[in-house]
Amino acid sequence: MSLDLDQALQTYIAEARELLQDMEDSLLRLEADPSDADTIGAIFRAAHTIKGSAGLFGLDPIVSFTHIVEDVLDRVRDGDVVIEANLIAVLLESGDHMLHLVDVVAAQGGQLDAEAIARESGLRIRLQDYQANQDSSKSNNVVQVETEASFQSSGGGFVETDNWHISLRFGENVMRDGMDPLSFLRYLSTLGEIVSITTMFDALPPADKMDAESCYLGFEIDFKSDADKATIAGVFEFAREGSLIHILPPHSKLTEYIDLIRSFPENETRLGEILVSTGALTQQELEDGLSEQQTSTRSDGSTTPLGEILVDQRSVEHEVVQAALDKQTQSKDSKSKENRYIRVHADKLDELINMVGELVIAGAGVSLLAQRVSDNGLQEATSVMSGLVEEIRDGALRLRMVPIGETFSRFQRVVRDVGRELGKDIELVITGAETELDKTVVEKIGDPLMHLVRNAMDHGIESASIRQAVGKPAKGTLRLNAYHDSGSIVIEIVDDGGGLNRDRILQKARERGLIAPNVTPPDSEIYNMIFEAGFSTAEAITNLSGRGVGMDVVKRNITALRGTVSLDSAVGQGTTVSIRLPLTLAIIDGFLVGVGKSSYIVPLDMVQECIELSEKDRQETRERSYLNLRGEVLPFVKLRDHFEVESIGGSRRENVVVVSCAGQKAGLVVDELMGEFQTVIKPLGKIFSTLRGISGSTILGSGEVALILDVPSLVHQAVNQESQKVSTRQLSHSVM
Amino acid sequence: MGKAILIVDDSASVRQVVSIALKGAGYDVIEGCDGKDALTKLNGQKIHLIISDVNMPNMDGITFVKEVKKLANYKFTPIIMLTTESQEGKKQEGQAAGAKAWVVKPFQPAQMLAAVSKLILP
Repeated sequence: MSLDLDQALQTYIAEARELLQDMEDSLLRLEADPSDADTIGAIFRAAHTIKGSAGLFGLDPIVSFTHIVEDVLDRVRDGDVVIEANLIAVLLESGDHMLHLVDVVAAQGGQLDAEAIARESGLRIRLQDYQANQDSSKSNNVVQVETEASFQSSGGGFVETDNWHISLRFGENVMRDGMDPLSFLRYLSTLGEIVSITTMFDALPPADKMDAESCYLGFEIDFKSDADKATIAGVFEFAREGSLIHILPPHSKLTEYIDLIRSFPENETRLGEILVSTGALTQQELEDGLSEQQTSTRSDGSTTPLGEILVDQRSVEHEVVQAALDKQTQSKDSKSKENRYIRVHADKLDELINMVGELVIAGAGVSLLAQRVSDNGLQEATSVMSGLVEEIRDGALRLRMVPIGETFSRFQRVVRDVGRELGKDIELVITGAETELDKTVVEKIGDPLMHLVRNAMDHGIESASIRQAVGKPAKGTLRLNAYHDSGSIVIEIVDDGGGLNRDRILQKARERGLIAPNVTPPDSEIYNMIFEAGFSTAEAITNLSGRGVGMDVVKRNITALRGTVSLDSAVGQGTTVSIRLPLTLAIIDGFLVGVGKSSYIVPLDMVQECIELSEKDRQETRERSYLNLRGEVLPFVKLRDHFEVESIGGSRRENVVVVSCAGQKAGLVVDELMGEFQTVIKPLGKIFSTLRGISGSTILGSGEVALILDVPSLVHQAVNQESQKVSTRQLSHSVM
Repeated sequence: MGKAILIVDDSASVRQVVSIALKGAGYDVIEGCDGKDALTKLNGQKIHLIISDVNMPNMDGITFVKEVKKLANYKFTPIIMLTTESQEGKKQEGQAAGAKAWVVKPFQPAQMLAAVSKLILP
């Protein structure tokens, strides 16, 4: 059972994190439109659920803090507190703090550090401004309950032989309301001993007038118990409506109460609470007494002492309160966007994907065998199976796809906070939030994105005064955009700031020996220099960025995801950083090619076309490494040379696979084209991490290993080597 | 077979904890994630007790209680509302609709068991 509870706690942690994210999103929406009642309702409900569920697990720190937040939100919902910037700010910070509290729970039994405790007390003070005054008296009440023991001892000890007397007359409707008088009595007997019970039939009508659904019973009970009055009254609390219930304590202390109350007439409220805390009165009786007191004040002008009312009348008079309260909370949460989900552990999904991977490989093995046997029936059956396997593969992979919008919207908050810190007014525009990509990628892209966003805000977008001076709107714009492009997802971070200083970068690159002094590479290459390790041109290191962790780390993180990053900039107009990531890290459609005895896989999405390398071209390309593709210059890489594959003799026909990546095309010269192949990506070991041009491996149907080509790096290499050759040639021409 | 209890709450963790506590005490538990969903779970089978949250998407607890009270098979089924101290008004509303019992959130599983055993015999 404790294992189950632990699982439930994990559910709670995930749930709370989601709710806090929702709450943050809603708060930001509210900042834009403070009158949105639905959003207020959604925020309240989030805090409410977090608190409610935390109580179940006994997570008192979360309960007590969230209670205050909920209280404030309740007042916001009722219109008692006006939404303004400070309130949003303190609620956002409270949300952060709640997340921290949840994280502490998730870290299993960790303690709050001093910083968090200080933060919490600070937040409590700030939240207090928005809370109702009455709350302070409520907390007093709690303190008094804690002193219960001392009150009881001063009130005289218990005499064991003395019994409680309970007089019950159930309301007619009690059974219609689904309650069984018998079950209350049975529950009562769990609190003590029912010494005697007498059933009262006086309300019973003649048999012909009796309604089978009505209850006419009453009981007089002598009850022996150590329980206090509130506990005993609690047994019947659900049946209170319409029923007459009197619970007389073992000692008849009535005069004692009255004397005590009369001696402090002006302090009635507090006295009532003291009585409650001593166990002489129940909270419900007190409340009834108070409302009774108020109505009687209105009629004759003088105040009836509270104690007398409490003792004499003990009647249920909360219809008035009910009517007043009914009007109060009529919020309808029309938030029905919540779709139906099944929560599945990520590990289970990974396992499924792995198994599907194995299935794909096994399927390829079967197909290969079927081809060898050349049995038509078998081949047909395997081809049907391959189709199904492919569908299963796509379905399994789609399970892992999540829209990037969630990651993007997190930056609303970052942009808002960082903007304030920097004193810049910056708007974040999100497009393509619905673009889906693999969950693993989403998880890992957060940090690099954060760095790029902060960088763009800090160094990219100028201060308002500079912007106005150059005729730009004072408000800076930062765009996050995502879209699919030939088997990859592209994420762009676009700012409309000052752009990169090309000359400074060039100068710095030359100083560091990254670019030879007499060579001037194209602008795009110069800009991409900032991804080199330790390369920073920031004039001042600010708190936000430029802390030594630079763009090189961003690049490394993205490369680790088999992605690429590039940068484009226009002076005075802004900078665009494009991150290109593979859609999935598990299984891809590949194109199988052969070089010598080895097989290689080109991701199919990147393949544009395949052409034959004609004898004429072969002659020509001995000297140069580019082809004429219908009038276009196509640089190429000979895989045989690149990977130093042994030739298997004979002048076999060669083919060129034209691949494209990030707008650039290149050819890969191979021996054999072997067709499409479902490729389960197996990572390469660490020792191979320095190999250029290979991004992974896979297993073929025959059991052999094939390497997956890293097309972007090969394209880059082909294009560069060609342009370098051209530029050196030009250089040598001009020298001569 | 223990007595059947239907727990309706949009929070999966609340449902989980309540059902662990109730199952531990020998009850059968059926879960519903909101009012609408819970109504579909009431398909004529015997339910001895319903526990329902107030604030829920799609159909809130008050509406749900009113709907249950319209069903001949369930109009006498006791209903416990899950309320909070800040929802006194909702509690009254729930009682008016026919949910006469309540448990105040946040609650300990033992409190829930106590409320349940006040209403149904084991």
